[in-house]
Amino acid sequence: MNEKQSTTMSEDTEGRFRILVCIDGSDESYRGLKYAAKLGSGIDADIVLLYVRPIDQGLRSGGLQVDVARSNLLDWGLELPGIKYLKKGRDLLVEMGVLGDDWEEQHSHSDVSGTTLGDNKIDYISKNGNKVVLKLKVATDIASGVLDQWEIGKYDLIIVGASSRWKGGFKGFWDPAVAEKIVVHAPCSVIIARDLEVGSGHLICTDGSEAAMHTVRSDAYLASRCKCPISLISVSHDIEGEAEAKANVEDARKELKSMGIDVVDAITKVGNPVDEIIEAGPDYSLIVMADSGKSGIERFFMGSVAFKVMENAHNSVMIVR
Amino acid sequence: MIKKFGSVDKITKVPSAISRAVPGTIGKAVPRVLKKRSSYLYFWQKRWFFISLAVGWGLLSMPVPDGLTQQGMIILTMSVVATILFVTEPVPLPTVALMIIVGQVFLMGIDSKEVAKSMMSDSVLFIMGSLMLAVAVVKQKLDTRIAWLLVRVTGTSTARIAFGISFVSGILASFVGEHTVAAMMLPVGITLIQLTSDDPKKVRNLAAVILFSISYGCSVAGIGTPSGGARNAIMIGYWKEFFYNPTNPETFIYLIDYVHWMMYAYPLFLIQLPFVTLILLFTFKPEYRNLSRAVVKLRHKVEEQGKMKIGDWAAIVIFFVTLLGWIFASSDYGMGTIAIFGAVIFLASGLVKWTDINSGVNWGVVLLYGAAISLGLQMMETGAAIWIAEHFLAILSPLGADSGIGLWAAVSALTTLVTNTMSNGAAVAVLGPIVLKLAVAAEESPIVIGYITAISSAFAYLTVVGTPASTIVYASGYLKTTDFLKVGWKMAVASTIIMLLGAYVYWPLLGV
Repeated sequence: MNEKQSTTMSEDTEGRFRILVCIDGSDESYRGLKYAAKLGSGIDADIVLLYVRPIDQGLRSGGLQVDVARSNLLDWGLELPGIKYLKKGRDLLVEMGVLGDDWEEQHSHSDVSGTTLGDNKIDYISKNGNKVVLKLKVATDIASGVLDQWEIGKYDLIIVGASSRWKGGFKGFWDPAVAEKIVVHAPCSVIIARDLEVGSGHLICTDGSEAAMHTVRSDAYLASRCKCPISLISVSHDIEGEAEAKANVEDARKELKSMGIDVVDAITKVGNPVDEIIEAGPDYSLIVMADSGKSGIERFFMGSVAFKVMENAHNSVMIVR
Repeated sequence: MIKKFGSVDKITKVPSAISRAVPGTIGKAVPRVLKKRSSYLYFWQKRWFFISLAVGWGLLSMPVPDGLTQQGMIILTMSVVATILFVTEPVPLPTVALMIIVGQVFLMGIDSKEVAKSMMSDSVLFIMGSLMLAVAVVKQKLDTRIAWLLVRVTGTSTARIAFGISFVSGILASFVGEHTVAAMMLPVGITLIQLTSDDPKKVRNLAAVILFSISYGCSVAGIGTPSGGARNAIMIGYWKEFFYNPTNPETFIYLIDYVHWMMYAYPLFLIQLPFVTLILLFTFKPEYRNLSRAVVKLRHKVEEQGKMKIGDWAAIVIFFVTLLGWIFASSDYGMGTIAIFGAVIFLASGLVKWTDINSGVNWGVVLLYGAAISLGLQMMETGAAIWIAEHFLAILSPLGADSGIGLWAAVSALTTLVTNTMSNGAAVAVLGPIVLKLAVAAEESPIVIGYITAISSAFAYLTVVGTPASTIVYASGYLKTTDFLKVGWKMAVASTIIMLLGAYVYWPLLGV
């Protein structure tokens, strides 16, 4: 069962599970990285650390390209801000023992029109083929950069912090927050990290639908590999629905049992799903939900439970696709 | 909120050979072109473009208000649409400039020769020339020399270094323009910060003090001389264009030359300088009071460079020649011509390569200024400027702000508001005709109002995009956008008070 699951989950990257961690120098992004390392260690995942630098706009700096200042900085031997953050992430991985001294190191650089620096990448490859990649990327804005990265790499999971810098400067008034944009458009699972800690397990939400069952299966697989405890929750709107909610949780528990995974808590609640899930959330490291698959217009008018939870939760949320 | 169509699935399933290749390998062959998100986002990303067009169409189909001509209505509509596009940026900014050209010919029926002529003036030449000079000056690598001089004089105390940085940045920026100095001083500031501590979190406040000393030092200095910023040259151009009449000797006071401008504005800049440091030190209490460790290392770094070379001296001489040209010859030959002349010497002597200048200057900005000035002149000619001015005055008069210091404060507030959302040169180019007409309608001196507008346009302390220096300093990655809000409003208040006091007490002494 596990074998089968693993092939379906990572089929589009030649059998490797790939995690993209967005680094922005905040503590949150490093907690996300630690989590990725924990998750990745169980399944031999590739971990890619990405820092996206918005492209410099000469129009904003009175006509003198910011690049002029940037290359002046390089002449002084000063590093770009992103490189420092990525290196700190790498050191963290070395400290955790994920990245060893014997890993092979490869540097590569690609030019990007409109900037002297372009994209820079360092690959670390272990003897058995595991990869850790540091990537500094230039893009028109942070969210586009992250999403473009998905298109050239195909990842199974993106971890992005909910911290303030992701909301981006002045454009924030018109553009939705970076994390939200990534969640909406990323074709793979996304974790929005808020105080993400490793130990406390996953809380998987189910409503009995096929999408939810898929979520249960795929996340349980992930969690079991990193030995994270798993709990289930199902919420019904009213008392009549409670039996159904119980049945949903029971189905999921049976499914997991057949995969050889034990469930710690199985919770059923009555009330508004969004509020109940948010309230139950903080006891666990991660709330796991299925993407509702609603299109933009539908989501705009009706809202989706997954997105409301994501926006308002007190802790981290993972949207599974 | 964002529309998501079915195409997402398509993207995930297309087994494209390109997307599967290792990113580095394709990257080496073909430079990656920055791309926008795929097509399903197209309309959402361009929504402001369509909104602005709809607003424009709505305005044009409305009946023309009393006192405004049809032409005036069109130019006003174009300004509104251009402003929306400017702030929301759904299309590349130079496109807005091109749209203004097209609009003037097609919507207003102005002869294309006239439009072309109004695009290029001495002010635009000056902007072009001073940008080329800026690249040339930054490429001379005089920054290490300046840094060395700086720390020799200031010693190692944080407060003294902060004042030293804003003083040096300011004095230089008042002559060479703020973007030049910000680009030169940024490495100095970051070196000081990094040599103090490697961990950005431990030096957050110190970084804010030092980097803001650079950017605000440059910003307050931009008002000092006509070459300090494009906006000053634009205002000088407007005065001449609107009020100067070669046959009437009384209008000769509207020919403002370099020295004249400095007499009015330079003292205001000097008074603001100590306030920059004070406000910064009180807002961000730096973690280190003494930077001796960093200063010693910096000194080592500078000494590695060795003695000044002939090229360094030559660059300084060329620069001073240009400066003297501005001071003594700009009223005869125009500031633009002299800036271009300076660029010519730098290029001809081989001190800077054309490729450097070509990639270092964003030529779109030149287009933008040209179009903004052209729009401003049309506002004036069609009578739209006077129409807005009268209405603005009608709003102000119940508040008692239709004359004297009240009007000055109102003009200054309006300019500060506009300049925080767009580049300060563009703000002056668009607001200039309106406020000058306002001065005429309120029977105030157009010179005083003009100065107030040009000077207030430097008060864009609140946003990253407000001034070139802020944008450049922000690119270092040490500052947050909220830092700008935190300290910017204090700067704006202090600067406004100093300027109004100057206008009230000092300028009358010069006989306006």
